[in-house]
Amino acid sequence: MTLRIPHSAFRILAAFWRLNLAEELQYRANFVASVLGTLFYMATALLTLALFFHHTTSLGGWNYWEIVVLLGVFNALTGVIEAVLRPGIGQLAGEVRSGELDLVLVKPVDAQGFVSFRRLDVWRFTDVVLGLGLAGYALFRLGHTPSLAQLSAFGLSLAAAAVVVYAIWVVLMSLAFWFVSVENIAVLFDAVYEGARYPVTAYPGALRFLFVYLIPIAWTTTIPASALTGRLRPEIALVAAGVAGVAFALARALWRAALRRYSGASG
Amino acid sequence: MIKRYAALIRNAWLVDLQYRASIVLWLLWGVTEPAIALGIWWAIAGDGSVAGYARADFARYFFAVMLINQLTIAWDSWYLDRWIREGELNYRLARPLHPAHEAVAENIAYKARTASVILVVWLVVAVAWPAVRLPFDPGRWAVTAVAVLLAAAMRFFISFTTGLLAFWTTRATAIMDLHAGVSLFLAGRIAPLALLPPAVAGVAGVLWFRSMLAFPVDVLTGAVHGTDAIVRGLAAQLVWLGVWVGAYRLAWIRGLRRYGAVGG
Repeated sequence: MTLRIPHSAFRILAAFWRLNLAEELQYRANFVASVLGTLFYMATALLTLALFFHHTTSLGGWNYWEIVVLLGVFNALTGVIEAVLRPGIGQLAGEVRSGELDLVLVKPVDAQGFVSFRRLDVWRFTDVVLGLGLAGYALFRLGHTPSLAQLSAFGLSLAAAAVVVYAIWVVLMSLAFWFVSVENIAVLFDAVYEGARYPVTAYPGALRFLFVYLIPIAWTTTIPASALTGRLRPEIALVAAGVAGVAFALARALWRAALRRYSGASG
Repeated sequence: MIKRYAALIRNAWLVDLQYRASIVLWLLWGVTEPAIALGIWWAIAGDGSVAGYARADFARYFFAVMLINQLTIAWDSWYLDRWIREGELNYRLARPLHPAHEAVAENIAYKARTASVILVVWLVVAVAWPAVRLPFDPGRWAVTAVAVLLAAAMRFFISFTTGLLAFWTTRATAIMDLHAGVSLFLAGRIAPLALLPPAVAGVAGVLWFRSMLAFPVDVLTGAVHGTDAIVRGLAAQLVWLGVWVGAYRLAWIRGLRRYGAVGG
């Protein structure tokens, strides 16, 4: 039973994604626009960093190229967010308001998974490639060749980072049930996630505490980048996995509570 | 005209009232960027100073950026893009009032609400945190008010004109994003212009970017002082405002001709 449901859910999602891909392939100019947009965005991020380092030699104990590794990770995660998470959230807010969410809830699939992953903006996956490319180039400039342990710690903590980002996103989607008029609730995510562009050690104490424990964005970029450059021992990836697990469980609990509220409202 | 404006502003105010949560979100989004820039400069300055800016100077600068950016920001290119693409411009053209007036009224209602929130927050923070307090100086505040008004008018025309490009291209908002990316540096959103390499700061001063934000902010914090510097700054604002009004006239007349051709 527990095996069968995810399987069918995946088949349904796969069908959605195929349709999505076919639809997107009609608009190939969007691909060029998306890549240009990402390159411009990366350039402004690098220039901002260059400006900071025009006046300092280290930021929170990190040097320039170490933070570029972090920016690469940031960009890769942004790609995941833009490709997978953002396309669906506007739709959800509308469905909560109009009651169309009923149609999702009666489907024999997990509503959270379905709502989160039903739409893809495939072009934005190039951001993941560009981001990892940037991180790789920065590693080269650092003259650091990651060991196998560091690489696997990076892989695990990057996966954990994606889960943490997803958990924060689910919390926001759940909020859509309380503030139904908020179609642009994703703006709140952008505001918070902006903080992940720099190593968490660069911030004053209170902000650092916030980013590590309460809104755990430190785990999305600082930790994977640290694991890759060897700033932190590879074992940190196991902690990151634990954090991701807790964040996911909490987000899931909130989503359930939100769904209960929804059926209460429409009944 | 005053009665019309009162009605338009009241209408925009009431529409905004329905979307209070939305407005809070945009407000939060607007203050995070300066807050994070402040956090980073705070760390870099440490106990010393960067190009004459100590921690308290950065705090005042970025609080002023939060307030004045909110007062001068204009979302109109996004509205214009939608009006033109989805034909919502049609019924607006049929009214006996230029659509720009509706946009101006919306700006006033939105800014009155969000900027007063920031102002109150600033005052409350200033009670606890001396670093962000400004000296009592009504003369400087009056000059700041004029500079903010000019900056707001100019950013409105920049945004409106860029939105009008939707008559010709489907990527008008992308052009606005490009402009926002450049203004990150040249308008002083990420750092005071004094901290940019001199050549870059020079470009910002020759173009309209300094007039958009950095100049009013520097007047408020006192970084620009002396009659001469203030008069030159205001004059630059007036000149660029004139240029953008001209660009708007051109785009509006040419664009409408084109729009009519498509619709007719």
